[in-house]
Amino acid sequence: MSIQIEEKGRKTGRVGDLPHEVWTSVFRNPWPSNDLERSSTSFTNFFLHIHPVKVHKHTLKPSYTLGLGLISFFLFLILVVTGVLLMFYYVPSTTQAYDRMLDLRGTVAFGIFLRNMHRWSAHGMVAMVFLHMCRVFLTGSYKKPRQFNWVLGVLLLLVTLFMSFTGYLLPWDQLAFWAITVGTSIAAYAPVIGKDIQFLLLGDSTVGQEALLRFYVLHVAVLPAVLGLLAAIHFWRIRKDGGLSRPETVAGGREPGHGERGVVARRVYGLQGFVRGAFNGGAPEDSVFSWPNLLLAELFVFVLTVSVILVVSLLFHAPLEEPVNVMHPPNPAKAPWYFLGLQEMVSYSAFWGGVGVPGLMVMLLIGVPYFDRNPKGVGRWFAKERLLANTVFLSLVVLNIIFIIVGTFFRGPNWTFVSPF
Amino acid sequence: MESRRTALTWLSSVGLFGSAVLSAVSNLVFIKPRATYGQPSRFAIGKPDDFPPGTRISLDVKRVCIVREGNKMAAISTTCTHLGCIVGTSDTGFACPCHGSRFDQDGNVTGGPAPKPLPWFKLSLAPNGELEVDKGQAVDAGSYLNV
Repeated sequence: MSIQIEEKGRKTGRVGDLPHEVWTSVFRNPWPSNDLERSSTSFTNFFLHIHPVKVHKHTLKPSYTLGLGLISFFLFLILVVTGVLLMFYYVPSTTQAYDRMLDLRGTVAFGIFLRNMHRWSAHGMVAMVFLHMCRVFLTGSYKKPRQFNWVLGVLLLLVTLFMSFTGYLLPWDQLAFWAITVGTSIAAYAPVIGKDIQFLLLGDSTVGQEALLRFYVLHVAVLPAVLGLLAAIHFWRIRKDGGLSRPETVAGGREPGHGERGVVARRVYGLQGFVRGAFNGGAPEDSVFSWPNLLLAELFVFVLTVSVILVVSLLFHAPLEEPVNVMHPPNPAKAPWYFLGLQEMVSYSAFWGGVGVPGLMVMLLIGVPYFDRNPKGVGRWFAKERLLANTVFLSLVVLNIIFIIVGTFFRGPNWTFVSPF
Repeated sequence: MESRRTALTWLSSVGLFGSAVLSAVSNLVFIKPRATYGQPSRFAIGKPDDFPPGTRISLDVKRVCIVREGNKMAAISTTCTHLGCIVGTSDTGFACPCHGSRFDQDGNVTGGPAPKPLPWFKLSLAPNGELEVDKGQAVDAGSYLNV
């Protein structure tokens, strides 16, 4: 009897059904209780739309990816949120910027905390993007068909470094001023266009008000937009290139590679049929639904990332040195740690250390998926088949780290060698 | 018919691509400042009497060192040719605090990573008796102004 009334009520649109109607108008998919509904989460929800319906079990192994790409992305989100909040109080003026830093410390509620979060996330993002690159290299994941996504990754690393570099000037303290003076002078060593690049960056012949404004605009508008766009393409390509790399030995890991026109011919085209090298030939037990498996993994990494940043920001304050004194460079004047390797090389030769060697390294990184023709050893850490490539890569990484350590701990006044012990 | 279509496709492609390049170039022109707001490259520094014979006075804000030996005066840049830090005066000439470049009294490199000697700027006597430095005009090392 009651059931009949309910059904009748539905049909006529009772007022009591309004909440239900509103809810279903917003969330087009019910809370998934069967496989069909689990699949449709990624079709019906804008935010989940980035997910594939199913992911390979290998993709979710924490020991394979270490979650480094996700961590980098979540750090970027933290940086956007804290950065926008800081923008409410910051003024890109040589007379006000430093005072605003002090205000963050003294009067703004949670000001110092937000600045700490922004600073430590920025350091973290540089480190995590770099480690993510190491992971992708050491598992041979840049190989066909993922060559271009590796190139996008290298560009993302460069934009991340540039983001960090432009943000470095904004507090307008001694550290900022001299690091940017040195940094933009390095740019001036680039052949032919070096001086023009420096002038365009600074908007003047020396670091001053124009430079501060330009770096601010680059930092809060231009570079985040570029980074966001590149990251979107980066994520999109993961799926279009057949998901994360997996070893050949894993069932369903067979990578069809490029078809003649980039589309693998099939007899039946599913909704995902035009994805290059999508796995759907594998046994169903090799894959799991993205809802809830992938989502929970992502949530876990997110909570972990935010927690670490919160704890670090509570414990350590972002450094702030004396206000800019154009007449007295600190001695030694040091760049942020991830540029200290560069600064150490620059102290031998400005051109080779600042432009030549880094330029070659970037070219090498961008070119590596195209001149490493060895198709073997994809999807495994330190694969034996990739001994040469991994050794060369790790040597360069270690060399860079040594330069950073020397620049950080072993250089004193006038950049002379000192012992920290 | 076919060739006309091809020609039109080419023409419009070139037009669109050309416009894109033009707007990119105009953006570059836009962000390159025509006038700068910082320090002017030509400025007065005072009367010759303000610089007694035998002194080397660094004007750090102007980034220039005024040298006077007897009646000969010169203006030597104090911007390090390595990476733009301000060099300080030392007993033997100039020393850079950033990467350890060293220069002699005339600005020649004596050590460190600096690739070039410190430039000398044109120093002239304005009609009102004030010394004027023009950082836009480098002169050969050793060219002095007689006062």
